[in-house]
Amino acid sequence: MGVTCVCQVPVAEGKSVQQTVDMLHKKLEQLGSVKHGSFCVDCETYHATGNVGGQPSKLLYVMHNSETPLSCMALFEGGPCLVADANFDVLMSKLKSHFQNAKGHKVESRGSRYRYCDFLIKVGTVTMSSSARGISVEVEYCPCVVPGDCWNLMKEFMQSFLGTSVPELPSVFAAKPEGLFAAADCVDTMTQYLELFNKLRKLQIPGSNVR
Amino acid sequence: MADVVNVGVNLDAFSHAISGIQALRSSVTRVFESLKDGMKNRETLEGREKEFLAEFQDNLQAVNRDLNELERLSGLVGRPSESHPLHNSGLLSLDPVQDKTPLYSQLLQAYKWSNKLQYHAGLASSLLNQQSLKRSANQIGASAKRRPKVQPSTLVLPPQYVDDIISRIGRMFPDMSIELFRPNGTSAVLLVTLGKVLKAIVVMRSLFIDRTVVRGYNENVYSEDGKLDIWTKSQYQVFQKVTDHATTALLHYQLPQMPDVVVRSFMTWLRSYSKLFQASCQRCGHFLQDGLPPTWRDFRTLEAFHDTCRM
Repeated sequence: MGVTCVCQVPVAEGKSVQQTVDMLHKKLEQLGSVKHGSFCVDCETYHATGNVGGQPSKLLYVMHNSETPLSCMALFEGGPCLVADANFDVLMSKLKSHFQNAKGHKVESRGSRYRYCDFLIKVGTVTMSSSARGISVEVEYCPCVVPGDCWNLMKEFMQSFLGTSVPELPSVFAAKPEGLFAAADCVDTMTQYLELFNKLRKLQIPGSNVR
Repeated sequence: MADVVNVGVNLDAFSHAISGIQALRSSVTRVFESLKDGMKNRETLEGREKEFLAEFQDNLQAVNRDLNELERLSGLVGRPSESHPLHNSGLLSLDPVQDKTPLYSQLLQAYKWSNKLQYHAGLASSLLNQQSLKRSANQIGASAKRRPKVQPSTLVLPPQYVDDIISRIGRMFPDMSIELFRPNGTSAVLLVTLGKVLKAIVVMRSLFIDRTVVRGYNENVYSEDGKLDIWTKSQYQVFQKVTDHATTALLHYQLPQMPDVVVRSFMTWLRSYSKLFQASCQRCGHFLQDGLPPTWRDFRTLEAFHDTCRM
């Protein structure tokens, strides 16, 4: 488990989502990456019921990552995160009285996984109720656990195939109490994915009748 | 006697066959030369083409003739006999069942092979002896009188002394922690943890560093039975490269009489890897080369270079 950076790649001018994804694949293969299977990250939303007063109900997000297939992560946005095993889904269905599943709000990112030297690159199409909303790219540098150390290295690598759409240092690392020099783990990855999914969800709501 | 006569017949046909080969070679060379020179200058295009083709045909026919001549001559030469008996071993060649038990031919091959091997081994040893590769102070081949005096010291050290030296070195570097284990006998095995970057396992022989394996901070150092795993390579290419460099370093830092200085120099060198992922290459200025950060640290200046950029 190394340092991960999740970012969104804008769809190229005049091209479809699939074409942009193919372009990225080609660039990666030109660099010398090797395809190494596929990946899937998904996120389900649960409303917390039983809330009195005017405050909006807190949303609980339950996420899965194919990189850690036996685990399941439950997190509140900006709040604590729980890492549990796969049976947590069954538990959630038993807690129907407290948490209601917002069906139709399930977001997932699916795509191919590439390996280049010690980097793992995952290029995925983000879909919500089977309509493609955007492209997510996750770059993981496996040997290093401290984000502050290898950020420049990762940025240089991302520049080589993303060109201009290189992201800034993910805020999830800067927000930690020990700052950039705390060890990264899977919770940080899922928090980044959650931010990306929420951004894409909000983006499409005004023009949701445009498919 | 019969051998001499046999050999005489062979030699004659041999010399004819050799001159036949030379003739064939020259006629083939003529073919390619005429192709290379191309068409000669004549008045009309047809004239040029006709002459070129006629010349080409002549050359090819000459090749054919020489080849037939060579085939005829080679038929006369006959099979080379293996009758070069090496005294008594030649009696083995009298075995009539040659196909099933090719004893003698195999014996000859084995003999030739072992002669060649001996010759090459002699060359190799003379080349290797030019550079002394012994890192300890023991002298092999010293006379019996001198040996008791010189017998030492650096290879047979009390374990407590080794422990003291290692712990002193460990205290010198605050960001590096050194743990000492003795899983097999008196040889120490050190687990060096450098910040949050890497873990190195250093196998020692008294105070001499024998070998080292470098792995990532998040990799497992223990094997299934709870002991230190000193054999598995790292799963990351960057640390496999660092392991190779560390092996080069432990061969580089050599001082047979003062092994504790050697260990200290090695640890100082290893400590320069605390900025493995942060440093850029001093030569090309980039962070990555073929997906690897600068993994080489110069032995004197401790500057970071890519493996392909080092001077």
